[in-house]
Amino acid sequence: MLNYIWAGLIALSFLFALVNDVRDLGRDTYRNGTALPVTLAIPSGYDPSARRLAVTVRADSAAWSAHFGKPVAGGALAGELIQAGGGRELRFAKDVSLPEPLATARSMTSERDNDLRGPAAFTASTSDTLLEAAVTLAPVRFVKLVAITRAALDLAKTAVTLALGLVGVIALWLGMLRIAEKSGLINIIVRVAEPVFRPLFPEIPKGHPALGLIILNLSANVLGLGNAATPMGIKAMESLQELNPRKDTATNSMVMLLAMNTASVQVVPPVLLVALMGLQINRLFFPILICTALSLVVGILAARWLAKFRGYRDSDPMRAPAGAVEG
Amino acid sequence: MESLRQVLDLLAVFVIPAIIIGFPLYGLFRRVPVYEEFVSGAREGFQVAVNIIPYLVAILFAVGMFRASGAMDFMVEGLRPILTPLGVPPEVIPMAITRPLTGSGSAGLLLDLIGRYGEDSLIVKIAATMYGSSETTFYVVAVYFGAINIRKTRHAVPAGLIADASAAIMSVYVVKWLLG
Repeated sequence: MLNYIWAGLIALSFLFALVNDVRDLGRDTYRNGTALPVTLAIPSGYDPSARRLAVTVRADSAAWSAHFGKPVAGGALAGELIQAGGGRELRFAKDVSLPEPLATARSMTSERDNDLRGPAAFTASTSDTLLEAAVTLAPVRFVKLVAITRAALDLAKTAVTLALGLVGVIALWLGMLRIAEKSGLINIIVRVAEPVFRPLFPEIPKGHPALGLIILNLSANVLGLGNAATPMGIKAMESLQELNPRKDTATNSMVMLLAMNTASVQVVPPVLLVALMGLQINRLFFPILICTALSLVVGILAARWLAKFRGYRDSDPMRAPAGAVEG
Repeated sequence: MESLRQVLDLLAVFVIPAIIIGFPLYGLFRRVPVYEEFVSGAREGFQVAVNIIPYLVAILFAVGMFRASGAMDFMVEGLRPILTPLGVPPEVIPMAITRPLTGSGSAGLLLDLIGRYGEDSLIVKIAATMYGSSETTFYVVAVYFGAINIRKTRHAVPAGLIADASAAIMSVYVVKWLLG
């Protein structure tokens, strides 16, 4: 299933990026090749021979909206006039916040120094310090294709940072859990909770530590301790893996544990949500509790029900003896 | 309800210290060589994180491409005529789609909705309930199964997505019922 979903995500992103880009070309969203009208405010008493001249680009919302054929925000944007070759070039300041679609055009034209520039032709001067000009910007094409390529490379990097960032926390909790195992704490938890949780994980033999780790993982989830819950879940999975005769295939118990984790049983709302919602979180306490509890029940039922499907039943590693079915 | 929350918050503050102090002390009491056992358990931490890397790269890059392609807009347009008659506000559809795919992405969406509609709007309450009542299924699959090198996930993703979908649908009706 994941094979199809994964390939689907990749194929769909290519398809939609292409559709978006062709549509942009058809609509000429970025007005490639057409000069953009600007009004430049130059400080009085400037030196006409100066190579660099700081200017303010007065973006007229009406003129730009007419140019791009859709509403564009105006404002005063910092920039520079630069003497280059035979003419002058207008360069928008590096960190100025540009309105769309110019912001996208900037991110496309020069990735390295991230500025938007183009040769400026002066059409009129309203006064000593105000100039009318038209700037020709570099053509912008295939924005989304570039965006998906960038996203793929960026997120591959993010994945490694994210995984390596977990090393410390995982190490801390795996160490703690090792002590808990050796001191018999896990066995105590197993004995207490076995009657309630056994029906959900019938494959786990009586007294096996996996059940204790599962309970620790679920309790950490309930209390909103994401940092502790993940390593505990990983340790529980490792323990379930010991029982698994086919090491590359998930057992029903693993799927059940995963379904219970994705339903995210929690009584304490996640820290990030509290930070975002402020005091309103108090009113959401019960709705979240009800939804998460119901989705937990749905997740458990789905995991049980799907396990009965023929394809999933046949691929169950606990069903066939190890090696009998080619995995 | 307010006091219940305070008790739970307090509990959450005390649980972690209680564990990281309590486990070694109990171990000591049971004559376990606690330092030696801690170190040999913690040694696995690096290996586990490294095991996760290929799985996380696979999931994150595919999801990242999908989001960057603008596919979300098309899906929202496609789902709008089906979901609007059922009473689902179209503004929360992106949240329902994004939640199982990416945690940071859905938090960004929520922030965006708060900026546009305010914390006390029904739309934000529904979206926040969606965010709070489910997990990033694909991330959980990558981390938990990656750690033990499970490649054949069988019905894990469908079961997780069914749970996510039920949480998203119920968020709409429960919030409307309790707070609407």
